[in-house]
Amino acid sequence: MAAGGERIPGTPRYRHHLMRHPGTEPFFPNFLLKEWIVGSVFLLSFMLWIVFNPVDLGPRANPDDTSFIPVPDWYFLFLYQILKYYPGNYEIFGTFLLPMVGGLLLLFTPWLDVSKERHPFQRPIPTAAMVLATLLTIWLTNEAAVQHQAEVAQASGQVTTPGLPVLPRIPASQIHLVDTNMPGYQLFEQTCANCHGKAGEGGLGPPIYAIGRYWNAKQLKDFVDKGAGMMPPRGTLSSEQQVQEVVDWLVKQKG
Amino acid sequence: MLKKAYDWIDERLNVTPLWRDVADHDVPAHVNPAIKMSAFVYCFGGLTFLIITTQILSGMFLAMYYTPDITNAWYSVKYIDDQVLLGQVVRGMHFWGASLVIIMMFLHMLRVFFTGAYKKPRELNWVVGVLIFFVVLGLGFTGYLLPWDQKAYWATAVGSQIAGSIPWIGPYIQTLLLGSHVVGALTLTRFYAIHVFFLPAALLVLLALHFIMIRTQHIAGPL
Repeated sequence: MAAGGERIPGTPRYRHHLMRHPGTEPFFPNFLLKEWIVGSVFLLSFMLWIVFNPVDLGPRANPDDTSFIPVPDWYFLFLYQILKYYPGNYEIFGTFLLPMVGGLLLLFTPWLDVSKERHPFQRPIPTAAMVLATLLTIWLTNEAAVQHQAEVAQASGQVTTPGLPVLPRIPASQIHLVDTNMPGYQLFEQTCANCHGKAGEGGLGPPIYAIGRYWNAKQLKDFVDKGAGMMPPRGTLSSEQQVQEVVDWLVKQKG
Repeated sequence: MLKKAYDWIDERLNVTPLWRDVADHDVPAHVNPAIKMSAFVYCFGGLTFLIITTQILSGMFLAMYYTPDITNAWYSVKYIDDQVLLGQVVRGMHFWGASLVIIMMFLHMLRVFFTGAYKKPRELNWVVGVLIFFVVLGLGFTGYLLPWDQKAYWATAVGSQIAGSIPWIGPYIQTLLLGSHVVGALTLTRFYAIHVFFLPAALLVLLALHFIMIRTQHIAGPL
């Protein structure tokens, strides 16, 4: 059925007699209602994504720490990657000329592609150029991401216990432990803190202040029960009961 | 009662033609996914606008707690995450929304390009659209610094160095952005002002132009 025939019962048919083309429908309320439905489904998926992907807040900015490997947000990665291909005296190509030319080409597209043809197959040169530019952008973005990951992996080459999530070392003053009134926290302070620090910031043992973000209670308990590396089985806790209490508290620490 | 109030306003300001134009215009069949499923590609522009709206809303709520100074910025974001009711959700909306706007806008641009919708008489609307793209990239760049964590700080440090390496005008742009030679206290307040006042103002003007042009020129016909 043509959508032009669907009406919300009782709504007035503004200018309906003027519609010359079959299939057209008024913007309000018919089309807008459908847009709202699409928008609602979209927003719902968006909110679900957000709830299951909480945003990370890294350690506080420290201008003295020059060991940090800088990386822009993902949508600037393709520009960042271009820089790497023009080192030294040719830097200006990557920092200025190429992005400028790209931006101007995009801005003045209507005056570069002046043929009357609109179908993409009827104007192969602009179509091919755009397809190539898109693929190149995606490839550059991916290349930058892969190279950055490799760089980070190489820099953090410190020996870590296999399977243990690696948390960045940050000062204890920036860690906010939660639920410190639980019995598990007192046990933590008396035992685990000797190696992992009062705030879990790490010491002899690795930082574990946000371990709950990576491991659930069962994974944590299995790990503590077995022990690893310098950590004895059950840490230095004396009973299953104590391990459970500490684990119950630790899983709530999500940074 | 409501009708009387409306008539009173309409008599003085003649508002009926304004909303009638928006409400009554015909939506052609070739852009309507309810008729032809493949027309969903025409949704990307609208979805971009929807996400921009949620960005503005979530941004307004974040600004209630965010403090743009270098001693407190990081702690205020931490506070939003840990203490504020639904703070993590609102920050999540703003963070993920930033990426989503870019993706949707890129898809919208590809749709307009491949359907040749930028051709005469719609050249100016394409130009305005590209300017919107640049403004949104600017919003992304300035917003990235605001949490004042390590990745924010160092990304901006490198970004401003790149801007500074542009011949002749580079050092001026760098000073204008950073307020200094290095990323510091002035940079954060500048980026905050640019992120919440300058660029949103530009964005709203450009969006208004974009939509007014669509209404006067209508959507391009079927291929």
